[in-house]
Amino acid sequence: MEEQACPRCKTTKYRNPSLKLMVNVCGHTLCESCVDMLFLKGSGACPECMVPLRRNNFREQLFEDPMVEKEVDIRRRILRDYNKREEDFASLEEYNDYLEEIEDIIYNLCNNIEVIETNKRIEAYKRDNREVIQRNKTRVGRDEYALEELLEIERAQEESRKKELDELETEHKKKKARDKQALIEELMYSGKDAAQIVSEFAEKAEKQREEEKQLPPPKAATEFSTGIKFGQSADPTLLPVPKSEEGPLFNYEPYLPYTEGPMAPHAIDIETMGYIHHIRTETPQENAGGFTSTLACQRALEEALQCLYFTPTAGLGVGL
Amino acid sequence: MYPLSSQRRSWTFANEEQLRVFRVEQNTKYIEEHEAEAPSTGNLNDFFLTPEEERLLLKQYEIYLVDFCRRFEPPMPKCVIGTAFHYFKRFYLNNTPMDYHPKEILATCVFVACKVEEFNVSINQFVNNIKGDRNKATDIVLSNELLLIGQLNYYLTVHNPFRPIEGFLIDIKTRSKMINPDRLRPHIDSFIDSIFFTDACMLHTPSQIGLASILHAASKEQENLDSYVTDLLFVSAPERLRGLIEAVRKIRMLVKNYEPPDREAVKAIEKKLDKCRNQNNNPDSELYKERLRRLYTDEDDMPAEDASFHIANVSSDTSAMNISQ
Repeated sequence: MEEQACPRCKTTKYRNPSLKLMVNVCGHTLCESCVDMLFLKGSGACPECMVPLRRNNFREQLFEDPMVEKEVDIRRRILRDYNKREEDFASLEEYNDYLEEIEDIIYNLCNNIEVIETNKRIEAYKRDNREVIQRNKTRVGRDEYALEELLEIERAQEESRKKELDELETEHKKKKARDKQALIEELMYSGKDAAQIVSEFAEKAEKQREEEKQLPPPKAATEFSTGIKFGQSADPTLLPVPKSEEGPLFNYEPYLPYTEGPMAPHAIDIETMGYIHHIRTETPQENAGGFTSTLACQRALEEALQCLYFTPTAGLGVGL
Repeated sequence: MYPLSSQRRSWTFANEEQLRVFRVEQNTKYIEEHEAEAPSTGNLNDFFLTPEEERLLLKQYEIYLVDFCRRFEPPMPKCVIGTAFHYFKRFYLNNTPMDYHPKEILATCVFVACKVEEFNVSINQFVNNIKGDRNKATDIVLSNELLLIGQLNYYLTVHNPFRPIEGFLIDIKTRSKMINPDRLRPHIDSFIDSIFFTDACMLHTPSQIGLASILHAASKEQENLDSYVTDLLFVSAPERLRGLIEAVRKIRMLVKNYEPPDREAVKAIEKKLDKCRNQNNNPDSELYKERLRRLYTDEDDMPAEDASFHIANVSSDTSAMNISQ
């Protein structure tokens, strides 16, 4: 295997064990000290391909082959925008075509084939699919969130199991001590045969051990102490609709205005008889709220005619 | 719906006599309760206000009420003034100005009317229209607000004659042959303004008041709307016409018979009132401050010796709050 070396200063891993190779978007390596020296100003050209580079785009080389490093970098960048999923396509065929296109683009960029055209293609894709890209980005966030939740649940389960085990252990120890004490007391005070007592106790202990084995496995924690469920195990559907007892059916009675005055014209008459021409038309805002000029006109007319027949009668008003 | 409203059910009275009985009753009740405060020598009427003096005082304050509303900034819609008038009149039907000074109730009435009629002003905006100590005014208005609403028996919806007037005008424009009914408007407005100084709103329905003002305006313009009333409005119930004519006549008489109070007489009454008013409800009196202080200490369960708690402190605190806002 070829020794890792900085192509500029020719330092190798052998000579300098703390050698750190860095790589930038162009895929050419440089050691850390060369980067420090060449990119003192923050930006500069790659000494091999003369591509302008920025210093803060340098990162540590993870793969031995700098070309792999470059491809990983490009792939990451491309996949950030090409983030469609299988659900976004009508058929598997289309999805496969799409995946192939991605691979083509990555390959082109890695090997400097038709870079300009490829970049144009990416730009066009970004423009056409801006909404989908944005949506999928947030979806990725949601997926991560769900994953985190899952981990959280697992952790909680683990904890509760551990706690239960601890409890069992202490309980067990206590019991053992108690049994021992009982055995000693029995041996001391009872008149029975010592060997018989010992075997009796051993039998009892055996039985108990078997019982313990049948204890149910610890239950997973899926709810808060308040009883509210969390995580994906929570019921995703809404609460069941409570069944209401059916009361007596509603009986429609036509509205009979009690006016104590002449009858106001009907809503239809307001327009046909020309009342409507003497009131301003409603603004779009008022109309949005459901208020029409007909309504306002009718109300004014109704209020004008209500209680015109009113005659005061003694003892009508009471004040309070 | 006016026919089913509380205004019709509880706040429309048979005649002026009925209103007078209510007011006299309140007056005598107050005098009986506060007899001990009067000097032992001399006539009770020289110390307490008579019902007639109370009327005169309230009439003067009704004028103040209109002035206050007219000068109100931002300008308020007419229905707020109408509603405030209703509240003011209703309040003093069951209370005497000796118990609650009309100047305080006046501001509170307008404030509540603003709220009820959805004319949105904050209390700070409101007291900016009041001359004098604004913090004190805020305290007074807010502390009287609940009292007023309670005294109105929580009947806050008021039917003003403004909408019926619009309705009649629409109807006249549509069905009668009258030329340009809009020229009646100035006369209608001035008639309505003077109607508020009378008790008409507690004796007649808003539609009757509206029709009366339109008929009055028509006669001022040398127009005759009698045929509109008889042939169009009352064509289905001619037997009801007499009641309406009577009502319109009464309303116009009320307006005609209204006399603005004599300024000098009112001044004398106000002087008298300062002595005989209920000191429990006078924000400037020691008795009131003492009562309020007790109220506060009771509420907060504070030890009685904590006498440092003064009303003055309260208002200065609120002023500090106002600044920070």
